[in-house]
Amino acid sequence: MKNEELRVKSEEWEIGGKTLKSRMLIGSALYPSPANMEEAIKESEAQIVTVALRRQSAGESSGNNFWDIIKELNINVLPNTAGCHSAKEAITTAQMAREVFGTNWIKLEVIGDQYNLQPDPFETVKAAEILVKEGFEVFPYTTDDLVVAKRLVDVGCKILMPWGSPIGSGQGLINKNNLKTIRKQFPDLKLIVDAGIGKPSDAVEAMQLGYDGILLNSAIALAQDPVNMAKAFKYATIAGRLGYEAGLMQKREFASPSTPTVGTPFWHQFS
Amino acid sequence: MIKVSVNGKIKELQKGLNVSQMIEALNYKTKGFAVAINTTFVPIAKYEETIIHDGDTIDILAPVQGG
Repeated sequence: MKNEELRVKSEEWEIGGKTLKSRMLIGSALYPSPANMEEAIKESEAQIVTVALRRQSAGESSGNNFWDIIKELNINVLPNTAGCHSAKEAITTAQMAREVFGTNWIKLEVIGDQYNLQPDPFETVKAAEILVKEGFEVFPYTTDDLVVAKRLVDVGCKILMPWGSPIGSGQGLINKNNLKTIRKQFPDLKLIVDAGIGKPSDAVEAMQLGYDGILLNSAIALAQDPVNMAKAFKYATIAGRLGYEAGLMQKREFASPSTPTVGTPFWHQFS
Repeated sequence: MIKVSVNGKIKELQKGLNVSQMIEALNYKTKGFAVAINTTFVPIAKYEETIIHDGDTIDILAPVQGG
């Protein structure tokens, strides 16, 4: 396992102009404590962590303490536009994030429905078009809808982040066929399954579909032991990618013996 | 004096302040935040030339945990 792991991890990949080894993107929210978050992120060996912006009162320092921890981890930050419901809100948040975090990366999230936090495809495409023109590297959170994916590519997105299932639901990949179709239609695009991953086997499945990475938060932060769950997802991501690269066997409708039939012992001759 | 909304709370400020002066008047001491006025981002480079007006809605955002 150790040698295999090292071999896969040594295969670097590129996203948003950065060369990385880890294919796991981790969120920084919902952990039992800042120390637990720090330990889980370290254990995951993720090289991208998502962060956000919220209102800060004068004299308030808790937010900056959080940011100090993240900065010390010395990994790439991916600010999000969580909570935005229009292209205008998302664009303003992205511009503010670029100044605060010093990165042109933005996880574009424009929510269209409060019940399932489904992204608004129309506002997402509108925001993406403007942000790409402003020099942002847009990581758009989208559904598994192929046409929306096409529109995002049309406006210049080089990365797509279709959901596995609604944010924080832990339902896993509810529409693998659509995810497969997007992978097939955009072989050269960087694809990340974002949202809905609930257990390590979901990460394996997403990676086995040929996705370039996974982004998750709740499944780790809300586990009974986030640090060990981070480790589980690290191995799951590696296992899924290794499985994809090794080439999965084709499914068959009937059984096929794996043990050679030639030289079967004598007793079968009397049946 | 003018009245503005800062992060959803009504505040009174002297008339004619620019963004830098507003930040000082509101007693923001820590760095690492960004400012938007009436939902439009104001970059640091424009703090001196951007004047706060009566009725403005000001958002001052800082890093927090996110997914």
